[in-house]
Amino acid sequence: MTGEPIEALKNGVQVMISSLRQNPQAIETAFISIITFDSSARQVVPLTDLASFQMVDIKASGTTSLGEALKLVSNCIDNEVAKTTQEQKGDWKPLVFIMTDGIPTDDWQSGLEEFKKRKTAYTVACAAGSGADSNLLKQITENVVSLDTADSQSIAKFFSWVSASIGVTSTKVEDAGQEVTGLSELPPPPSELNIVT
Amino acid sequence: MTSIKSVSSIIHPGKTYQYADNGEPMRGGMKDVYFAPDRSYVIAFYRDKQDFNSKERLTKIVTQYYDSFFNREGGEYYKEIYCWPTDVVQLGAQIGLVVPTYRKNFFFAKGYATNEGIKGKEKQGLWFASAKFRNKQFPLRLDDSELGNWLSYFQISVKIARGVKRLHAAGLAHSDLSYKNVLVDPVNRDATIIDIDGLVVPGLYPPDVIGTADFIAPEVLSTKHLPLRDPNRKHANRLTDLHALAVMIYMYLLYRHPLKGGKINSMDTEEDDLLSMGKKALFIEHPTDTSNRPKLNQLPKSALPWADVSKLPYTLTGPYLKALFDQAFITGLHHPEQRPNADMWEQALLKTTDLMQPCGNTLCDQEWFVFDNSSAPKCPFCGTPIKGPLPVLDLYYQFKGTVWKPENHRLMVYHNQYLFQWHANRNVVRNERLTAEQKVPVGYFTWFNNKWVFVNQKLDSMKDLTEDKQVPIGTMVDITDGKKLLLSNEEGGRVVMVTMANKHT
Repeated sequence: MTGEPIEALKNGVQVMISSLRQNPQAIETAFISIITFDSSARQVVPLTDLASFQMVDIKASGTTSLGEALKLVSNCIDNEVAKTTQEQKGDWKPLVFIMTDGIPTDDWQSGLEEFKKRKTAYTVACAAGSGADSNLLKQITENVVSLDTADSQSIAKFFSWVSASIGVTSTKVEDAGQEVTGLSELPPPPSELNIVT
Repeated sequence: MTSIKSVSSIIHPGKTYQYADNGEPMRGGMKDVYFAPDRSYVIAFYRDKQDFNSKERLTKIVTQYYDSFFNREGGEYYKEIYCWPTDVVQLGAQIGLVVPTYRKNFFFAKGYATNEGIKGKEKQGLWFASAKFRNKQFPLRLDDSELGNWLSYFQISVKIARGVKRLHAAGLAHSDLSYKNVLVDPVNRDATIIDIDGLVVPGLYPPDVIGTADFIAPEVLSTKHLPLRDPNRKHANRLTDLHALAVMIYMYLLYRHPLKGGKINSMDTEEDDLLSMGKKALFIEHPTDTSNRPKLNQLPKSALPWADVSKLPYTLTGPYLKALFDQAFITGLHHPEQRPNADMWEQALLKTTDLMQPCGNTLCDQEWFVFDNSSAPKCPFCGTPIKGPLPVLDLYYQFKGTVWKPENHRLMVYHNQYLFQWHANRNVVRNERLTAEQKVPVGYFTWFNNKWVFVNQKLDSMKDLTEDKQVPIGTMVDITDGKKLLLSNEEGGRVVMVTMANKHT
């Protein structure tokens, strides 16, 4: 990812953080981590509470190591998301947002196998622009959002929707108490996004 | 681009409302919200289609109940207590509500202490119910100028309790009381209940939501796995409102949740949440079962000092509120019909303010505390002792003839404290129906020439029973240990008896 899309993504993350920092529920409950992937995958921000979160420069150019990224996020979930023990209450299941503008260039299936063993509250994948394959992302999660063009406007919309989703899950318990798993229980995405079904 | 759109009322034929659509409405949990061009009201459209039941419910709320709450004597007071919708509109298949804009004091003047991130944003209740946002080490703490003092939160709680009391008196239940659905202004000691559209109207189906996490009653959580219309499923009602009200008052006074402690009820985090707030809910300060006490070593530093229930126990709120918290979180936690009602909370909060003392330390964060009945009283928040003798006045009423009985109501005296009609006469009830005349003080206490005196301003039949002489208006009487004063010889007039605490400092 280079040029306008990566700048838009950086901007999107920043806007998201600043909007979450205006939401007392989010400040009370949310922790954020960022993983980037190009020729390799790196955790650029470890799981950090909103108040102490510091933005770092995000770079992702070249190839698309989606498989490695899925393995890394699985490891991070194991290491950083606290499990409940006899002594201490653990963390809630994480929300995972994956954004890519390309086709994976590594063995992404083995990464997916690892990732599937972890429990998430929900996972949303975003195919940004025409270079990404939303059908492939469909194999990772049923919740796939595709942006026709990876321009700053649509990426900004995606992030404002992500912020809203984080706000909702930490506050309301709706209806018959099923766990939130599908997009139907998230706030509807802005009209410019296309949900792949 | 912003365009001005128009929408029609479904109740008043021909009535239309304008709103400014910039394509980016404010998004609530269920509604998209647009401002009127002059910002005097908002239009909140439900994103989901509303069925016949829902339309009927909303129509009743904005017509029949609106009239019975506001278009009658005393209605003006309640206009401030709620942000009540005034009309229902329809645009295509979408139903919307017309709601007045929140008053200006419910938006942050400063917000955070260190940046302008929330300046101008709504003062949603949670900002003021959490220890974090008032911890001096927390990066996103609120500015001191936004926090008010401890007494502010008693007045705020009184207003919320009154709002709930009035709803319940009309047979309604709010169904989603929480710190998200009240706006709170500690600076002006103000509060208003919002999101009235979830009201449970008698005889009509309740809305299909169970409330906001942290406030959902245990019986609702422990039956939420059942289908929506299952007869065993417990829904939001008056008694679940009373659970939410108790939780809210506890949080506004103590900045921690009464049920969120250290006990683990399941190794699955989500199930543990459900059990800890539902079937296995246990008061963190339960006097005999201590298994749910907060574990301080597991909590972030920003939760202190309030998370430490041994340092700042709920008994700091005084005897009247302690009794109600016991009733709400011990006896009534799993027995909804035993929960204290809103009127009891209102009265207990008001009576507790009569037990409050200003802290002598000008730097004390709380500024006020409840007298703890000890012989050497000190501020529990900053440790500053009270200097000099402290008169404690116990109120008595005439039982029959010469027999006077205690009211279980005590008034702590401080310098320049006022006395009111509701102290002098038991037939004057301190509630929202007080007239302007009744809110004028009848006299005041003051530390004068090294002794405590009471200056009588309006009590025309006051008598010093110990000295057996009248205390005419415009004169003063010494307040000394053991003194008995008749405040009024009218029916309901009270006698106060003085006990001097802290005599030897």
